[in-house]
Amino acid sequence: MSSKQFFVNRYKKLGWNYQQLQLKRAIRINTMNAPRDIVVSRLESLGIVLKKIPFLRDGYWINKSKFSVGATAEYLLGLYSIQKAAAQIPATLFNELENKMVLDTCASPGGKTIQLANLMNNSGIIVALELKLRKMFALTNQLERSRVTNAAVYNLDAREACKLNMKFDCVLLDMPCSGNPITDTDWFNKRTIEDVHKNARRQRQILTEAVKVTKDDGEIVYATCSLEPEENEFNVDWALANLNLKLEEINCHGEKGLTNVFGKNLDRSIKKCKRIWPKQTQGFFVCKLKKQK
Amino acid sequence: MIMTELTDFATQFNVNIPLDESCIVRNRNRYYLLSKKLKQQVPKGFFYAGEYLGAIKGASFFPSFPLLSLLAKRKTNKLIVDKKTAWLFICGRDIFQQGIIKENNLKKGDHALVLNEHNECLGFGKIMHNLRGAPDAKKVAVKNILDIGDFLRREKHTSKSQQYSSRLQRPDRKTHKQTHK
Repeated sequence: MSSKQFFVNRYKKLGWNYQQLQLKRAIRINTMNAPRDIVVSRLESLGIVLKKIPFLRDGYWINKSKFSVGATAEYLLGLYSIQKAAAQIPATLFNELENKMVLDTCASPGGKTIQLANLMNNSGIIVALELKLRKMFALTNQLERSRVTNAAVYNLDAREACKLNMKFDCVLLDMPCSGNPITDTDWFNKRTIEDVHKNARRQRQILTEAVKVTKDDGEIVYATCSLEPEENEFNVDWALANLNLKLEEINCHGEKGLTNVFGKNLDRSIKKCKRIWPKQTQGFFVCKLKKQK
Repeated sequence: MIMTELTDFATQFNVNIPLDESCIVRNRNRYYLLSKKLKQQVPKGFFYAGEYLGAIKGASFFPSFPLLSLLAKRKTNKLIVDKKTAWLFICGRDIFQQGIIKENNLKKGDHALVLNEHNECLGFGKIMHNLRGAPDAKKVAVKNILDIGDFLRREKHTSKSQQYSSRLQRPDRKTHKQTHK
């Protein structure tokens, strides 16, 4: 059986019939730098046709543009960021962000860090971690471009976050993951189930460390762009059993998390997670966990 | 000492820098403006923090765009250009007289911030001849020294080669000092 057939069969068992999709590009307005309606009207005056993304406050799809939206003056001035629609969801799930201490693990290329700063109105503190030095330049360029002033960036593995000796109110875990075949057309040729298991193990290590640096009652948002249950529902099930965490209800785009996967019953609260099958957006999985006292 | 490099840079635009020295931190060759909260609570060893102000390489100061925007909010040497000129400037081009909408009597040799019609700072340049009087329309009026298109040039450069340990080593980034030559 080919790798593609293997994964496509799995998706079918989970409830999704694989089909390749052409996704629209999406942007997010940085309302800390300019009002939303002004940015929209400036982009429309350039001939860019935008469509509001119904499930996001500041997100728009690019329906038509004769040129790259990454090369306008408005982009270079930090008035908006290019960010996939589903990737705009996790940062919006925290209850309150202004003046909070926030940890953003695996932060590069910085889309979610900028979004956090935007939601915090540049108040409080964001500590952004990135393991790979070469990605740090992209991240810091984005922060400079978007006028983020409340972030501190460290070249540090998220699995060593304790070294900072800090405690956080909110932790965004945008996990390094296996990705999905919608955003990477060569995905089936590159990925094996062993990769998925390896990534799932690393995600558990990151999650374990994140819990250590989260304050009691602090919130952890866990997100991947993987469709594989090992990196999503199975990891959350493991975390609920081992890390003194509780799932919180979230109100966002997506279907309920799966509580029975390949015949295995998982914690029933996992239905509070959101699984987004590729359709309007790329595939995504997100949930919010609360650290118990 | 930290402030000297920043104030010297700002002086070229006839403006005093409105920054609290106690909140400016030098990290390697870079300057950052930190909020009091950041300064008190984040540990040392960061790669980037707060508002990036610029960096020193040799005797040259490389301003950041947030610093230029801070200066542009003050009464300073600045000029406003039309839409087409703004776009050409971002693409790295110099400015001709006919693209300038407004300026504050800038003279040859002055340095001036370049703003678009929305009063957003796009970068800065050097005035090549007095802007009032009867300038030659075919001659460059403002030489581009730094513009926000630099963000794209940095990305392009980073994707081509990741061997540079600092953006300051990139040859496509013009220094303020070089432009005097």
